[in-house]
Amino acid sequence: MPRNLRITLAILAVAVIIGLVSLRSLQHRMQHLVQTPTTEEQARRDLLKSAISTPSDVEAQIKLFWADGPAKVTPTQVVLPLSADPVKRARQVIDALILQAPTPEQRTLPADATLVGFYILPDGTAIADFSDTLTSGMPSGILSEQQAVDSIARTLESNVASLRRLKILIHGQEVDTLAGHVDLTGFFDLNPAPPSAPQTAPASPTQNPAQPSR
Amino acid sequence: MIVIDPAHGGTDNGAQGPSGIVEKEVVLRFARQIRAEFERQGFRTVLTRNDDSNPSYEDRAALANAYRDAIFVSVHVSSTGKVGTAHVYSYQYSNAVVPVTGTTNSGDGPKSLTIWEEAQRPYLETSHLLADVLQTELAQRFTGSAFTSTPFAIRELRSVSAPAVAVELSSVSVSDPNMLAALGAPLASALVRSVQISRPGLALSRNSNYARAPVAGAN
Repeated sequence: MPRNLRITLAILAVAVIIGLVSLRSLQHRMQHLVQTPTTEEQARRDLLKSAISTPSDVEAQIKLFWADGPAKVTPTQVVLPLSADPVKRARQVIDALILQAPTPEQRTLPADATLVGFYILPDGTAIADFSDTLTSGMPSGILSEQQAVDSIARTLESNVASLRRLKILIHGQEVDTLAGHVDLTGFFDLNPAPPSAPQTAPASPTQNPAQPSR
Repeated sequence: MIVIDPAHGGTDNGAQGPSGIVEKEVVLRFARQIRAEFERQGFRTVLTRNDDSNPSYEDRAALANAYRDAIFVSVHVSSTGKVGTAHVYSYQYSNAVVPVTGTTNSGDGPKSLTIWEEAQRPYLETSHLLADVLQTELAQRFTGSAFTSTPFAIRELRSVSAPAVAVELSSVSVSDPNMLAALGAPLASALVRSVQISRPGLALSRNSNYARAPVAGAN
């Protein structure tokens, strides 16, 4: 066999061996990625999650608003360690609203929905950025969407006094509706100014306290 | 003109029940029943869709806005709630309108324009009146329904420049589709009755100029 041919064959053999080793390593890495998929949203969620609880948190009795029948939300007293910082506090109460629903019937937001961002503007506008599972996991209908918005708005206004209005974003974007019905292009009023005349009659069960504004 | 809006359609099925009931089909049947009932009483009617199409919110509103004396009724069926109950909604804004003025092409001088997104604002009171009357009528027919309507930001109503309400029946979760179909006749009669009762209070002057008005997609 000519010398040149032997050298070529040797180089080819080495290349094949290196290729096989690389292929095996690549296969291992792919298997590892399949076993632990990390989406951009999950990574963001994990990053934000770690910032929620702070050493200065103080246990407080708060009100979370969950479903009470199909058409209204009512407060439930819950003891929760809360931050004094309004942004962290808002995140803590919304997380609790999603994760600590006492029963499936009382749940107003999909269990896999997450608050991926929360900001407060100087004028008291709260911007709550939810994962898109808030819309995709929402049961279809005006009733369920109204309850979802009501529970968020009333929980925030009850526990974070500085908020004046709420804007809901989905995955960082303004969307037309929550799940086809409730208009999310506007704002929902929080902590409205007290009425000039004293209110004696209790609010109607179907009356919505979180009034949207534009 | 009674503008009857069967919600959803096309690729948007709306609520879907475990027994295969699909909201877009149910509301279309309801809308046809409502139309027949109104026409029996001498009203003119139009449907925002009369097939399995899905006009945009803007097209549905634009159809209503094309008539000077429209009353807009959007019909929905939920996936939750006590079966056989009904909820009526009117739109709710809370802060002030930002007026927009412009000049018409005819050179008539500046005219006040209504912002497309704010079209429902002048009709909030009349819409709420109609919603309350309708809710009362429905409560008499559907046991367990509330007696007052709910003001809420329902997207379909926002750009309608006429008295506008949304009614939602519960629900597609029924096991027997006939149970749901049986709600159509009382819904239609409640709607006709409530329009007859509240009609004198619904007469309002219209503002027909829009800052941004899309082309109507009438069926």
